[in-house]
Amino acid sequence: MEAILAILPNPTKETAPFWEGCNRSELLLSACEDCAQVFYYPRLYCPNCGSEKLAWRASAGRGTLYSFTHVGVSFYGPTWESQIPYTLVLLDLDEGPRMLSRLVGPDRDKVQIGDRVRVEFVEFEKQKLPYFSIARE
Amino acid sequence: MPSVTDEAVIIGLGETSVGKLPGLSSVQIQAMAVHDALRSCGLSIRDVDGLINLDPYSFPDSMFATTLAEYLGLKPSFCATVDVGGTVTGMTMLQQAIWAINSGHCHTAVCVYGENSLTGRPPGAHGYQLQNLLGGEEWEEPFGLQGMVSMYALLTQRYFHDYGADEADLGAIAVSTREHALQNPNAMMKKPMTLEDHRQSRMICSPLRLLDCSLVADGGGALVLTSAANARRLGARMVRMRSFAMRMTHNTVAQMPDIEELGMRDAGRDAYEAAGIGPEDLDMAQLHDAFTISALVTIDALGFCEPGGAGDYIRTGATAPGGKCPVNTHGGLLSQAHVGGMLHLVEAVRQLRGEAGRRQVPDARLALVSGNGGIFSICGVAILERV
Repeated sequence: MEAILAILPNPTKETAPFWEGCNRSELLLSACEDCAQVFYYPRLYCPNCGSEKLAWRASAGRGTLYSFTHVGVSFYGPTWESQIPYTLVLLDLDEGPRMLSRLVGPDRDKVQIGDRVRVEFVEFEKQKLPYFSIARE
Repeated sequence: MPSVTDEAVIIGLGETSVGKLPGLSSVQIQAMAVHDALRSCGLSIRDVDGLINLDPYSFPDSMFATTLAEYLGLKPSFCATVDVGGTVTGMTMLQQAIWAINSGHCHTAVCVYGENSLTGRPPGAHGYQLQNLLGGEEWEEPFGLQGMVSMYALLTQRYFHDYGADEADLGAIAVSTREHALQNPNAMMKKPMTLEDHRQSRMICSPLRLLDCSLVADGGGALVLTSAANARRLGARMVRMRSFAMRMTHNTVAQMPDIEELGMRDAGRDAYEAAGIGPEDLDMAQLHDAFTISALVTIDALGFCEPGGAGDYIRTGATAPGGKCPVNTHGGLLSQAHVGGMLHLVEAVRQLRGEAGRRQVPDARLALVSGNGGIFSICGVAILERV
């Protein structure tokens, strides 16, 4: 595993459980108890029906790659040169929501759209982040 | 029906030099564009009672319309800063000016945008420096997303996958746009570009290369509007906004829908329907091109070709100088300058006034302008017409 640099989130009251879930290696989605919509990222209201009756639901952490890019330039100054190139991905979780993440693993330069991916929690300064790797299923 | 045309018309246009304007602040650049626009129609600041602008993206600044009004010496009866997103903001400024004039809130309004995003950015910075990530920081930054280019790269890779497109399609619009820029004395890019130049340029975020990216620039643009009655009294050249439609689908890239569900298709259909025209009626199109992929997605969505056909369409020569519907006759964001898309509107008005010099599209009557803010987050289409 390469040494990861990350900009850590500043959680709000409503999003803190998501990031605490990551620290337990759980990828938490929001589920609406009124319309059954499962969504990411967490919000106070269901974006499908407006309900406030929301529950956390653990994702199986599996998905299909929607797109990717290998980032070839540091947008965070010289300290990030060590990260170049790193790989950003959009993926569709099996539960439905689309998610942006970072792909890790030695074979990420061979990534293709449609690849199966699975969550891989990577710790940076005591916060685990829900990155993904190519799944060999 | 999202038609906005009525009485108010565009009678003046202003454009500053673009590129590096060292020592000028964003408010000074906007003031220069306003004065240039007023000169173009023989008016002065004493005639202006409406002012609509956008504050600098690189350094967000609240109450920027009042900042500019005070700097100019205006005391307008209608004053607003609008931030809708990308070029859609400029169209929305025009819409607000038309509504304000038609409803009697002001008589003569100036819409303006400009900033010093090139000389004002930190030394050594890459790309367009944003103070925020469209409000999605918590779901983007921890994964390493910064800069607009990575979002458009994700869109490009998927476009390649969905349609079998490749970098030659990106290069086609880059080259077509450069050909236009070479006809514009106020364009940053002065040298011809070949497909090979494009293919050899440095990879920024795969598959987007340096020559797929627009030009961070200092500069500004402005448009003057007044009632048609006043315009006739002044003997002004008139352009009207025949229709305008927008569609918002998402904000952050993580919420981006599939390509054919982006809002450009719906915005375009509404704008065509409201104007009673189709793509075949257009004399030119000024399309959002912050990255080459933006133009391809937009050409597909606005019905110039079947989805995924933009590359082949461009290779027919349709978009180039002298083509059946030239695209980005000023050189666009790719080869003139990225001034928030305001110069797309300024160029359309200039062409419809017949003032585009050696790059004039003969007998131009109808121009389409498209814009998108964010990552096709909000899309807008305006159809402008010579009166």
